[in-house]
Amino acid sequence: MKDDLAVMMLSWEFPPRVIGGISPHVYFLSKSLAKQGVKVYVVTCDFPDAPSHEVIDGVEVYRIDSYKNPAPDFATWVYLMNLNMQKETAALTRKIGDKIDVFHAHDWLVANAGIGLKHVFRKPLLVTMHSTEIGRRDGLHTGTEKMIHETEAWLTYEAWRVICCSEYMISHVKWAFGLPSNKLVMVPNGVNTLCYNDIDSDLKDFRSKFALPEEKIVLFVGRLVYEKGIHVLVNAAPKILEKVNAKFIIVGSGYMKEQLLNIVRSMRLEHKVLFEGFLDEQTLLKLQKCADVSVVPSLFEPFGIVALEAMAAKSPVVASDTGGLSEIIEHDVTGVKVYPNNPDSLAWGITKVLLDDNYRKYLRENAYRKVQEKYDWEKIAQQTKLIYEGVLGECSKSFWA
Amino acid sequence: MRLIIFSWEYPPRVVGKLSEYVKALSTQLATNNAEVNVVTYDDSITGSTREPTGVQTVRVSNPVRTHIGVLTWVLTLNQEVERAAANIYYQANKQIDLMDVYDWHFIPAAVTLKNGLGIPFVYSVESLEDHRSQTVNTPYSMAIKSIEWLGFYEAEKINVKSEWMRDEVIRIYKVPKEKIVVISTTSNSWIKEILKLYNNVAGGLKSK
Repeated sequence: MKDDLAVMMLSWEFPPRVIGGISPHVYFLSKSLAKQGVKVYVVTCDFPDAPSHEVIDGVEVYRIDSYKNPAPDFATWVYLMNLNMQKETAALTRKIGDKIDVFHAHDWLVANAGIGLKHVFRKPLLVTMHSTEIGRRDGLHTGTEKMIHETEAWLTYEAWRVICCSEYMISHVKWAFGLPSNKLVMVPNGVNTLCYNDIDSDLKDFRSKFALPEEKIVLFVGRLVYEKGIHVLVNAAPKILEKVNAKFIIVGSGYMKEQLLNIVRSMRLEHKVLFEGFLDEQTLLKLQKCADVSVVPSLFEPFGIVALEAMAAKSPVVASDTGGLSEIIEHDVTGVKVYPNNPDSLAWGITKVLLDDNYRKYLRENAYRKVQEKYDWEKIAQQTKLIYEGVLGECSKSFWA
Repeated sequence: MRLIIFSWEYPPRVVGKLSEYVKALSTQLATNNAEVNVVTYDDSITGSTREPTGVQTVRVSNPVRTHIGVLTWVLTLNQEVERAAANIYYQANKQIDLMDVYDWHFIPAAVTLKNGLGIPFVYSVESLEDHRSQTVNTPYSMAIKSIEWLGFYEAEKINVKSEWMRDEVIRIYKVPKEKIVVISTTSNSWIKEILKLYNNVAGGLKSK
């Protein structure tokens, strides 16, 4: 197998542009692949003050002008952004002398660019499906949702391999798009444990900005959208407060924010439930380390990276028993699993963890060990490289070779 | 000379006047010994056909059936146009002299093929969004205009059918006059002038 393997990653987000889980995923995957000797190029959307080209630990990052064309709505913006991404990536691929071996797209947000480039350069396309429209929306209700679903179907059809981050997603994607099993491959998402080592161990002052010493910290990190189940946690809050003195810290933003604020106000719990919005990385890492429990109440969760992050930060996890979370958490061993969309069950789980110091310590230690064993980026990059090599081997026997 | 013509209408699909024009043009070009490939859209007839005139046509359909507007429809169709054009390119041992693109619909494909494979293109203007739309200041029309602008910027040459259209392109998009070639379709030397324009553009990119 050739040793100068080169991959062109396409992602609509890459740090410092962080919208969801794809950004850190592509960041760590690219860096770890580069460590494995793979030449990695990333083409992504621009971000204020981020350079249009930079090299991060051997990874060549190119940021394209993603707001060049005026767009009437989000979905049309995505397709217009793809026009520009595809044009710039085509020019880049040509400039570096057609050395790219594979194109690797992340989600439908870069479907058009990935598919077009595959055909223009006749190189295999791989896709990582981080989520699906039919899963996010729990069905297809509007024209836009149907269009996005069909774009995802088209992308998985055009891809040589479809990578998913959990067994749950493998079966979900297989069902959603009617794919043959041998096209799907599972590679877990990774988590960076090192970033938590650099955080001060004395976080007393930091903690006091968020909670009183006698209050336990219940942390939620995620977009404030329906699928993340944040409303379940808000509804569980009074039930938990009956038994434990706690402070609920909600990190992230989304379209449900106003609605959630109204619920909290009507329950007169403004002093117990704090909406912090989007926080910088250092503050978030510290909060994860301080948290007495991290809650992941998602209704739909392809993987559940936030649960892994909490485990890496040595914060006990309570998660709904759904999707990828079911696989990450072993109930009563590495965390507590509760019924999805059930405030009573969620309140039970959180209360159980908060009332028992020894149980928290036990969960924390088990979880941290698990993270180091299974969700290490080095191992994930090795698996991904093997997939690239396998695809190139198959491709070398095709008429495109 | 080997070229690919992009048009979103071609017989039997007739939307406006463009369809018949592209048919007449490709036939005339084939008669003049050019190797003509037409890449077009059709919802029910797909695949390639060799016409008795020698013109090679490829019809692609949209891989995404549900759309929220003509913009998303056009933008997903472009990858199929690229696929068809790339197949022609590789089958011809990467020897394509130029592309001739009619109106904005397939400008995205032409721009990618130009930047990725180094094939120059002519942007042939049948109509402009400013004249078609009554509401040019909506984000929707502005998005189409931004694609027209991209076409004018990336094209080697722009082909218009009248001096009036040339002046409109200059007025709306600030395109340098020397980039635009006026060829009247009623002129006796029509096909000669088209071939002259093609010969001028063929043979690689001047800009990069």
